[in-house]
Amino acid sequence: MTAERRRLLIALIATVALLAPLGYYWQASLLPDRYSVMDMGYADYGGGPATMTHHELMGRRVASLVADPKRPADVRVTLTARKERFRLASGEQVDGYTVNGTSPGPVIRAVQGQLVEVVLVNESVPSGVTLHWHGVDVPNAADGVAGVTQDAVRPGKSFTYRFVADHVGTYWYHSHQVSHAQVQGGLLGGLVVTPPKTGPDVRDELAMLHVYDGKPTINGSTGDVLVDAADGETVRVRVVNTDNGATSVWTSGSPFTVMAVDGYDLHEPTPVSDRAVRLTAGGRVDLQVTAPARIELGGARALIIGQGARAVPQPTEQLDLLTYGTPAPLGFDPSSPERMFTYSVGRRPGFLDGRPGLWWSINGHLFPDVPMFVVEEGDVVTMHIDNHSSQTHPMHLHGHHAVVMARNGVKATGSPWWVDSLDVANGDSYDIAFVADNPGIWMDHCHNLPHAAQGLVAHLMYAGLTEPYRVGGDAANEPE
Amino acid sequence: MVIANLLDVVTGNEFDHDATDTAEEKSMRSVYRVLAFLLAIEVLIQAMAIAYAIAGLGKWVADDGGVLNKQVVDSENASFPGVGGFATHAINGTMIIPILVLLLLIASFFAKVPGGVRSAAILLLLVALQVFLGIFSHSVPYVIVLHVLNAFAILGIAIIAGRSASVAAEPARTSVAV
Repeated sequence: MTAERRRLLIALIATVALLAPLGYYWQASLLPDRYSVMDMGYADYGGGPATMTHHELMGRRVASLVADPKRPADVRVTLTARKERFRLASGEQVDGYTVNGTSPGPVIRAVQGQLVEVVLVNESVPSGVTLHWHGVDVPNAADGVAGVTQDAVRPGKSFTYRFVADHVGTYWYHSHQVSHAQVQGGLLGGLVVTPPKTGPDVRDELAMLHVYDGKPTINGSTGDVLVDAADGETVRVRVVNTDNGATSVWTSGSPFTVMAVDGYDLHEPTPVSDRAVRLTAGGRVDLQVTAPARIELGGARALIIGQGARAVPQPTEQLDLLTYGTPAPLGFDPSSPERMFTYSVGRRPGFLDGRPGLWWSINGHLFPDVPMFVVEEGDVVTMHIDNHSSQTHPMHLHGHHAVVMARNGVKATGSPWWVDSLDVANGDSYDIAFVADNPGIWMDHCHNLPHAAQGLVAHLMYAGLTEPYRVGGDAANEPE
Repeated sequence: MVIANLLDVVTGNEFDHDATDTAEEKSMRSVYRVLAFLLAIEVLIQAMAIAYAIAGLGKWVADDGGVLNKQVVDSENASFPGVGGFATHAINGTMIIPILVLLLLIASFFAKVPGGVRSAAILLLLVALQVFLGIFSHSVPYVIVLHVLNAFAILGIAIIAGRSASVAAEPARTSVAV
């Protein structure tokens, strides 16, 4: 062998040594055309019993997890989804998605205990649509996640959602098919559940925040929104953040009281001034103010209630919900949980379905090799969420509300703080707890929806369930 | 034996440029040279893209009443001249440049460029460091200063690597600057 040939051989060996591991990881990252999320990653039992989870064996079907099919509906709504160029309420043209011809779509209002039935019709969304009831702990079959709890609704087809609105509060609905594009494009609307009438009416206003084409809006209008109110009138403002990033909310003219977070009332909240409250992406806060007042929404727009309040700049300090209000019974004991999970968000180089890049990791693993959190009905569950990924993640667990026990090891001392959407800043950790009381297969993902499309998605699964739906496949389900 | 040869290749010692250079080696040297200069150009594109984006953002906020908050940032559809610079910088920095530097390292195994493997390996490390610094600066802003300094290091070494391949390609005129 000549020196030249030996050199060439060594160069080839060095190349193979460099490329072989890359090729292996690339190949291993490729997703099949069609897969069940139940086959994804590895089971994490959180220290509880390793129950049989193999769904090809007999199990309870997700499709059987519905509201009482014999009960007639109290609230019936048909929602028709279209992909089109439309006008915002304030006149600007936007390319996106509408529900019944507008975006946001109609606000659905129900009284606590009513059965809500929504027929979703896909008129012209080529990639298909679904509706997810964000923050409502619906039966699993009505959760609206394409490829997990149903197939995406193709153009010309429809799907019926039924659930009992058994918890008062502020919620919203949005598509969970190609959600990073469809939600951004406006396929969403509000849902308000009020208690049965008891006392005098309190003025109740909804402020849905959404950014269309880079333009921040309130209820689909750019700029400030005026609400008539007499001086001294009490107004409850339900603020919904439908965007991918958190926003700050503060008031001028009147202090605000945070009445509820994510649909759950706080216990003995007190009036707040000189502080802003941070509103998580996907989250809601209900604020009570006395007119005249301005509700400043991220500094980009304001809800102006009555006349005379003057704008103030953003307060430097934020309200800490960990110490706000006073404690109250939780209704369960989180001190001796059956399952203890960790959901640790990081970031590392690798391949996502063959694409090289820096991707979000969950407990050190990249999608789809992520944990499947397995529980049994009735389990008390704790989850330690930490984030060392360089960016904030608004974590959203479907089908459940969890109570915040601690942040960065510091115990919560205020009102029980129930969340379905929790902003976990880089460097922070939270301990949350919940009762596994709603059987199903539930997404537990980042609600900065492009992050979900980049693999920041895991699932919570109840043992002994089965579902026929697949991501990909003929239905072209693409939940993220 | 193999290890000794590998060391020679890695350290770029085993080069005796004379009539023994084959056509393949010459073309691999061209590949190496082109990749090295592309890498240098990419550094300039990165600087231009991010500077354009920040200038566009500044005007949008100052003159056009634009409001930048987390919701607008995360909507990923804010629109002002230069906004594409942010995405360009991110995609170039986390995908295209790492691929370029990997290809450069592979080309260096075949191209007999003096110090070629060493330069490519250093560039690979610096690019990895650069990505880390860029992302880490989201948490600790002053780290961006190191990101900028490291960009100059990558630019300089990429130019040196490209020039050494140019010189090696013309062994008879090694004293002539290109």
